Amino acid sequence: MPSQRGEAEPGRCAGRVATVVLAGIWPLLACEAPRPRTPEETLIARGRQIFFGETFAGNGRTCGSCHREERNFTIDATFIASLPKHDPLFVAEFQPALKQNFENPRLMREHGLILENLDGFSDLANRFTQRGVPHVLALRTSIASPQGPRTGWSGDGAPADGSLRAFATGAVIQHFTKRLDRVAGVDFRLPTDEELDALEAFQLSLGRQADLQLPLPLEGTVAKRGQEIFLDNTLGKCNICHRNAGANATLGPADAGNANFDTGVEELPDQPADLTGELMPPDDGFGTPGDGTFNTPPLVEAADTGPFFHNAAVETIEGAVAFYNGQAFNNSPSGRFLASSDPNGVGIRLDATQVVAVAAFLRVINALENIRSSVDLLTRSAAMGFAERQEALRLLRLAVHDTNDGIRVLSGAGLHPEAVADLTTARGLTQRAATSLFGRRRTTREAIQALERARSWMIDTQP
Amino acid sequence: MRRLLKAAVLLVVSVAAPGTAYPQKATEQFIPVGQSPGVSGKLTWIGEIVGTDATQRTLTLDGAQGAHTAKITEKTRIFLDRSKLKQSNVTGTVADLQKGRRVEVKYEGPGPAPVADWVKVEITRP
Repeated sequence: MPSQRGEAEPGRCAGRVATVVLAGIWPLLACEAPRPRTPEETLIARGRQIFFGETFAGNGRTCGSCHREERNFTIDATFIASLPKHDPLFVAEFQPALKQNFENPRLMREHGLILENLDGFSDLANRFTQRGVPHVLALRTSIASPQGPRTGWSGDGAPADGSLRAFATGAVIQHFTKRLDRVAGVDFRLPTDEELDALEAFQLSLGRQADLQLPLPLEGTVAKRGQEIFLDNTLGKCNICHRNAGANATLGPADAGNANFDTGVEELPDQPADLTGELMPPDDGFGTPGDGTFNTPPLVEAADTGPFFHNAAVETIEGAVAFYNGQAFNNSPSGRFLASSDPNGVGIRLDATQVVAVAAFLRVINALENIRSSVDLLTRSAAMGFAERQEALRLLRLAVHDTNDGIRVLSGAGLHPEAVADLTTARGLTQRAATSLFGRRRTTREAIQALERARSWMIDTQP
Repeated sequence: MRRLLKAAVLLVVSVAAPGTAYPQKATEQFIPVGQSPGVSGKLTWIGEIVGTDATQRTLTLDGAQGAHTAKITEKTRIFLDRSKLKQSNVTGTVADLQKGRRVEVKYEGPGPAPVADWVKVEITRP
């Protein structure tokens, strides 16, 4: 049947459609092949794959079971409550061989506490500690000490040579096992050298790669005052052990690196986990038997990675700062040392407004880090073409989480509402970019601009 | 100022003294002979026990790295590596350091007979 005027012939129509579609997509497919990875990037990517995907033939857990990327590489009770009941985190609830003495499900669910047999496996029912999950951000800046690497809450988390590289081996034995017999080759397999190299590279790539240089030219009056108190070695005294709000100490003339201190956290009264009535043996910290000291974490990432301290004893960043006012700290070896160098014999004594100011400072530097991280993720995403779309979208999703954290830590204390508004805009744009087929990169660049505006409310960005 | 400096020095000492790099020994128990990352073959000797001296509290082993003697102290941890039997590794005693057994010795310190930090004894028969 001859075609009527104005009515396209089916074959020709299909050809036109194909031409149009190819004209539109071809540049995306042909011109934007993925950039080849450097050897280091390849190692980091391999490490990521192992961190989130490798169970080491164990109970189903991966490193990412506790160190969730969308939760700043840690977990807390709120996040745990959002997980399905058969998430591998809960193996003690559904794997019969792990029902006793592997975890305390109640303490895990209510307080994010994980069971550790740091002082040995000879008495599983009574000899253990319950610890929160430390984030693994900024490890590049936070584990080196003159005495060697310090990993985990007490600085002695890794077996073998005690390095970050060896840490995964101990973690597999402690947390990945199918049975409490913990037989290598039966209950799990140990990581290979290649896997340990990759895991180390991946973990070192996470978060900040360098410490801040304080003081920062902050715009907010309360946060600015908080920074002054933080840096004042006669008032807040925070910078002595957390130089530049990081994890390293400066003790007199000496750089003590990432040090351990006995700050008396174990002596806190009414600790939430203790109040449950569940068995919570004292945690003696570093060594076996322990010396009561715990490792210093970085503070830049603190405000969005609570609860705080090794036993998740304090829920809020304000409470964590206030801890240093209390009896537990000021009667501890560290508190007494500070008092001994104070002309008035005072360890740390801050009023409520000063506590809030220091916490505001910590919230602001955390939000600034959220922005730095989000911009980095968005910039990398925007550089990726169609061929790397899946990876680009993954980075966008992470940027949403990071930006959301910035919103949370600022609005949690009523700080910088203008910045919160810009962060909210940035989050919306990032979400839109993640669903846009053709406008992803343009929208991503707009999100970056919104993040930059948010930053300019908090810090003087003029050179 | 002098007081501050003195206190700081004291604090450095208090922080640094116990703070020698201290690998966690609890999970070390479950790592089979020769598989301790960063340690096996670098800071350990692996070989067969060729002699023990109860009075000197030493252990001599012979392996690919030659013959070596290490001191056993009350702080030395002894692990029985039963992974080849597919059984759980357990802690052992000096009595488990028997001639002919294959062991891995993690040594510390210099000298002809450094102190053994830990000894893993491979158990191959029930």
